[in-house]
Amino acid sequence: MKGESIIDLGGVNSSSAVDLTDQIHQLPCCIKFNGPSPVSHYFKPKSTGVEVDALNVKEAHFRGRKLQGTTVTLPHGYSGFVIGKKTPAKRKASDTNGGMTDSWQANAKFQNITLWNHDNLPSKEDAFLRAFHWFDVAKALHKPVTADDMESASNPGATSTD
Amino acid sequence: MGSESQIPEWASTPCIMGIDEAGRGPVLGPMVYGCLYCPVSYKKTLSTLEFADSKTLKEEKREELFESLKADETIRWAVDVIDPRVLSAKMLQKNKINLNEISHESAMGLVKRVLNMGYLLTEVYVDTVGDPEKYRIKLTERFPSIKFVVAKKADSLYPVVSGASIVAKVTRDHALQNWNFDETAENMHRNFGSGYPGDPSTKGWLEHHKHSVFGFPSLVRFSWGTCESYFKGGVEVLWEADEADDDGSSKKTVKRQTKLSNLGFTGMKRKSEDIESSGKGRCKFFQSRKLEQLSHF
Repeated sequence: MKGESIIDLGGVNSSSAVDLTDQIHQLPCCIKFNGPSPVSHYFKPKSTGVEVDALNVKEAHFRGRKLQGTTVTLPHGYSGFVIGKKTPAKRKASDTNGGMTDSWQANAKFQNITLWNHDNLPSKEDAFLRAFHWFDVAKALHKPVTADDMESASNPGATSTD
Repeated sequence: MGSESQIPEWASTPCIMGIDEAGRGPVLGPMVYGCLYCPVSYKKTLSTLEFADSKTLKEEKREELFESLKADETIRWAVDVIDPRVLSAKMLQKNKINLNEISHESAMGLVKRVLNMGYLLTEVYVDTVGDPEKYRIKLTERFPSIKFVVAKKADSLYPVVSGASIVAKVTRDHALQNWNFDETAENMHRNFGSGYPGDPSTKGWLEHHKHSVFGFPSLVRFSWGTCESYFKGGVEVLWEADEADDDGSSKKTVKRQTKLSNLGFTGMKRKSEDIESSGKGRCKFFQSRKLEQLSHF
């Protein structure tokens, strides 16, 4: 088994944290590069005025390809984080798993993401948006069961009277 | 874009039209289809107007002739300016459209536009670089009431096509001179020369404006082979749309592409191209939403 990963989300909740809302794009290609790039000088999304599945369609070009996308707000209670590997601090002797622990920290936060398709219009059937279905499922699965829930489950016919 | 004045009386008399293109070969800027039309009875006068293949005319002469044809009450014109972004996008989309197809659609669009305005087109002269007979059949099938004359170098054979070539060429020149860059990077300039890949000014401009991640400003036609040599050493970008490419020369890319979409979480170290999660091995709900569980990354 591999070691565990620790992600520190502290620090991004302060007001001074970097907010990348409106600046996160998911592109339908693999760009084999990691690092800073003058995105806002070259990547210029424009609104088309078209609406699909109540999503506002945007248009942009990258490397000659036409991209069609839409900006989606993350559901209430959820945030997106840009995380980066923490530069290892002095290792304590108690760190028994010998450097197997991966330490990450959140460097920025975002509340929306713009999803881009190549050629296709965005749709609520796109995998990324469908993934949001999990939020409701997870909520239903993990919601604490109250005494009332137990009551109604064991007495399905019971109606509450005053 | 085109003549905007009211429909003249001669519109209902038999008319001829010439169609020609400017900027097919250049690696940058729009490709322009231009047409010029007038009554059949004006054919003779047309041949006295010094219209010649626009390539043989000096820029000032072309401008001058364009101004005079605009002022001529018995001549109308129209253009279709195809943006370089549109050219690149169509030629690089999943179902790739080649330049000939784009050209034919543009020319037919002009014929349709003029017919819809109420002009009685009976003869249309078209310049082509491809097979004239195949193109003529295609045009005749679309517009059975019109007699089409399709020829290579039609711009030097028929004055009505020469006129169209002037309309197209001047429009493209103006579009380039007034080009507004979408991009806001520093040190961009407009000394792009003719746009032909062999032009030293064009070469210099491309070299100066290339970017390792973005390639070029969107003025450039990314689908042109010329671009490849400038991308060497730049950042590699992989697209799923290239997967369907049957071209043997790009086999390497095809292989890698297939991986990109098919490889899920295998427990092995993920390679940089395995950008998509797949939810492989999980229940359908997760698979169809490409949700996978990550305990380590």
